[in-house]
Amino acid sequence: MPAKLLRQDVLGALAVIAVAAFAYWLARNLPAGAAGGMGPGALPKGLALLLGALGVVLLLNAFRGEVLGRWSIRGPLCVLGALMLFGLAVRPLGLVVAGPLAIAAAASGSSEVRWRETLIYGLGMTLFCVALFKFALGLPIPLAPWLLGY
Amino acid sequence: MELLSNLGLGFATALSPMNLFLGFVGCLVGTLIGVLPGVGPIATIAMLMPLTLKVDPTGALIMLAGIYYGAQYGGSTTAILVNMPGEVTAVVTAIDGHEMAKQGRAGTALGVAALGSFFAGTVATLIIAAIGAPLTRLALLFGPAEYFGLMVFGLGLAIVLARGSVLKAVIMVVLGLLLSTVGTDLETGQDRLTLGLAELSDGVDFAVLAMGVFGIAEILRNLENPESRTVAIAQIGRLLPSREDLRRSLGPILRATGIGSVLGILPGNGAVLGPFASYALEKKLAQDPSRFGRGAIEGVAGPESANNAGAQTSFIPLLTLGIPPNAVMALMVGAMTIHGLIPGPQVMTKHPALFWGMIASMWIGNLFLLIINLPLIGLWVRLLKVPYRLMFTTILLFCAIGIYSINNNPYDVYFTAFFGLAGYVFIKLGLEPAPMLLGFVLGRLMEEKLRQALALSEGSFMTFVERPVAAVLLALAAATIAIAVLPAVSRSRQKAFQE
Amino acid sequence: MQRSFLVLAATIFSGLAAAQPYPSRPVTIIVPFAAGGPTDIIARISGEYFSKALGQQFVVENVAGAGGTTGITRGAQAKPDGYTIMMGHMGTHGAAPALYANLKYDPAKDFTPIGLVAGTPILIVARKDFPAANLKEFVAKVKDPAAKVKQAHAGVGSVSFTTCTLLTSQLGTKSIVAAYRGTGPALNDLVGGQVDYMCDQIVNLVEQVKGGSIRAYAIATPERSPALPNVPTTKEAGLPEYQVSAWNALFAPKAIPQDVAAKLNATLVAALEDPNTRKRLLELGSVIPDKAGRSPQALQKLVESEVARWNPILKAYAQP
Repeated sequence: MPAKLLRQDVLGALAVIAVAAFAYWLARNLPAGAAGGMGPGALPKGLALLLGALGVVLLLNAFRGEVLGRWSIRGPLCVLGALMLFGLAVRPLGLVVAGPLAIAAAASGSSEVRWRETLIYGLGMTLFCVALFKFALGLPIPLAPWLLGY
Repeated sequence: MELLSNLGLGFATALSPMNLFLGFVGCLVGTLIGVLPGVGPIATIAMLMPLTLKVDPTGALIMLAGIYYGAQYGGSTTAILVNMPGEVTAVVTAIDGHEMAKQGRAGTALGVAALGSFFAGTVATLIIAAIGAPLTRLALLFGPAEYFGLMVFGLGLAIVLARGSVLKAVIMVVLGLLLSTVGTDLETGQDRLTLGLAELSDGVDFAVLAMGVFGIAEILRNLENPESRTVAIAQIGRLLPSREDLRRSLGPILRATGIGSVLGILPGNGAVLGPFASYALEKKLAQDPSRFGRGAIEGVAGPESANNAGAQTSFIPLLTLGIPPNAVMALMVGAMTIHGLIPGPQVMTKHPALFWGMIASMWIGNLFLLIINLPLIGLWVRLLKVPYRLMFTTILLFCAIGIYSINNNPYDVYFTAFFGLAGYVFIKLGLEPAPMLLGFVLGRLMEEKLRQALALSEGSFMTFVERPVAAVLLALAAATIAIAVLPAVSRSRQKAFQE
Repeated sequence: MQRSFLVLAATIFSGLAAAQPYPSRPVTIIVPFAAGGPTDIIARISGEYFSKALGQQFVVENVAGAGGTTGITRGAQAKPDGYTIMMGHMGTHGAAPALYANLKYDPAKDFTPIGLVAGTPILIVARKDFPAANLKEFVAKVKDPAAKVKQAHAGVGSVSFTTCTLLTSQLGTKSIVAAYRGTGPALNDLVGGQVDYMCDQIVNLVEQVKGGSIRAYAIATPERSPALPNVPTTKEAGLPEYQVSAWNALFAPKAIPQDVAAKLNATLVAALEDPNTRKRLLELGSVIPDKAGRSPQALQKLVESEVARWNPILKAYAQP
């Protein structure tokens, strides 16, 4: 697609239409009208249709809009990866592992990362979090199930 | 006058050294957990409930209440500083508050938030004391049909919230409404739009959505532009609002106190609407609405006052009827019950010391919070000087831990990541998250009330016309939506005409 | 060298932990509902006794969702070492199989029953101006299609839902039903007069009834409750077949060590005899099981009979 056509709103409109279609598809089996008035499917389907219609309107007006900016990969990948790693690690491995892991993964998303500093900071911050969340606040978050059992 | 003697009893109870101490502890703890994203009053109150068994019921409640409205103060702190609302009611504050921080005016924003909240809290407490009971009777008149009318009216407000294109704002509102339908259907128990995931059968958690779309997306945005970030924030600037700032904030604070107080009484979390309504009102009333979304101080003063007023008045249904209007109040019910004090309509007469003591302690609590928060501003603002490449990892870790702790469910963290990505995509596509969040909040309530109204009227839509309050609200709603949408429509028609 | 030291240390630690008498560290009680509700309160009251009696903290962890089934699923899949137990109730271990098609546990087979803790009696309540003086008149109105009587419940899967469905199925009638998100909003509309009646646990309703904002027609237990001595039982008032109570019980995952299960049951039985615990449970209006009902076998029988009871009633409702 020629760069001039790749407007912000074109992509936006297409995304919106895609989401609307997906939502409608997910709700396809839900009955829309029922004895007491509205069924479970009424609102999801209705909203999906409305969203799709609005997406089309946006698309029609999109060719006069702003051009798309640059997207980065490193930042989102590392930050979101850090969150996913944390979620995966926190119950089997506990906070003492998930913490530094998340900080290290996140830090690699910044172009200014310095590894030694990050390592020390990560361990220190995890210790602080353990003290704050586990001991001071008493949240039932696993510390190190593989070592301590809780 | 009876009110004075009751207040006298209340202050006598609240000013006892033990209760003062407990109130202070509650406010302090509340502020601190309000700052932490995800970790909120619900988790903390639940955890501290066993501890409160060691003190008498009044003292326990004073402390727990302090945690609740302390969290409202704390939640705005992170909303302003790092665009990560610590409490869901701080979402609106983040819009202009964070912009102010980016312009080096973090101290002013925090100061106005604290002062506005204090004023609102004080007035709200007076309202509770003077007309709490009659107000509840009024709130009881609000059936599902009336509530639905109010929600639709709120939708009109959502459109006003937008910074840019009205069409895109409406799209985001509808997207929010659609997201709110994810979960188990209320009437039939069927799963809707849940992708077969059990974790989604209770719907999307608002905290998860807000953290992802506001906080995580903000981190992603900052990682892309390292230079532009460092320069502005490093300037601390004034720590407290100037006279001009205060002058500008006065109107919003007054109006927001009224709005927040009224909405807080409504059952089903009406308090959450307060900040949104205040923001929309101030934007409509401002001489230069384009300032909103770019660091307008009214956009901080109003919503902050509204959310604190709402937090205080949401105690009214609990204290006068014994029916909790939201999840935190339900916890308070639990805390009272454990103490053997089951809340009900007779609390006011059977336990006057408790009732009036709590009210008095709320006022004292607001004072504590002002004293705690104003000096903290300097501390928070200094924290901003930590190099971002390290700071953001901390924010992320706190967010992850906080979100996990909501339900002890790692899936909430995965969803936050997903919404963070979505938020990033929104930024790139020029779509704003705030209208979507409001659509989401309104969506659940709206659908619930719509279907209840229809169930009770056996499917007849006429119920909305027959019931006067509902009809009026719906008419207002239609008018608001029209006023919001028409100028945009006529403007684009003019543009097309000129071309 | 460093690595093998760590491995050695870890083995010693875990070995030590296993060799200690139970419990040697804090125990988690999973409560599958939000904090503050009746089940949560009962869990906390009993948890307090356990902590004192066994010398280790028994901490409540609230894992709410899907009518309680999320938390119970988590509990069923926990390590069967006795350090994770859960508080199930009539909904999660009785009604759930009929309500949730994809239920990931079998209440009768996937758990080690510890014992019944307390049951909360169910009240039939109506808005204060409802035109019926007693249960008989109330039943007549509910059965009369012209009266258009409206029922409220706190959501599919909640106690108010299952118990009211039982009532209407026993009466052979269908009311106009409005679903709410939780007891709070439902009760609110009942007090406000927007709906006509509800069936819910006494804890949630007792102060409202005493304060006069709603009226109670009957309590669905064999004997009157000391908390509301003026409310007749369903037996006295003419509907003896409506007997239901939202029972709460402690469960552990399947196949935990025998001695741990026995210890937990013994502590529970002692808790139910402890005057302080009894007092607090009774203040809530709950019913403490009699001596015969406190054994794990009694609980297992209850679970099986409840699943059988609720299955036909709820399956009939859940068809859209």
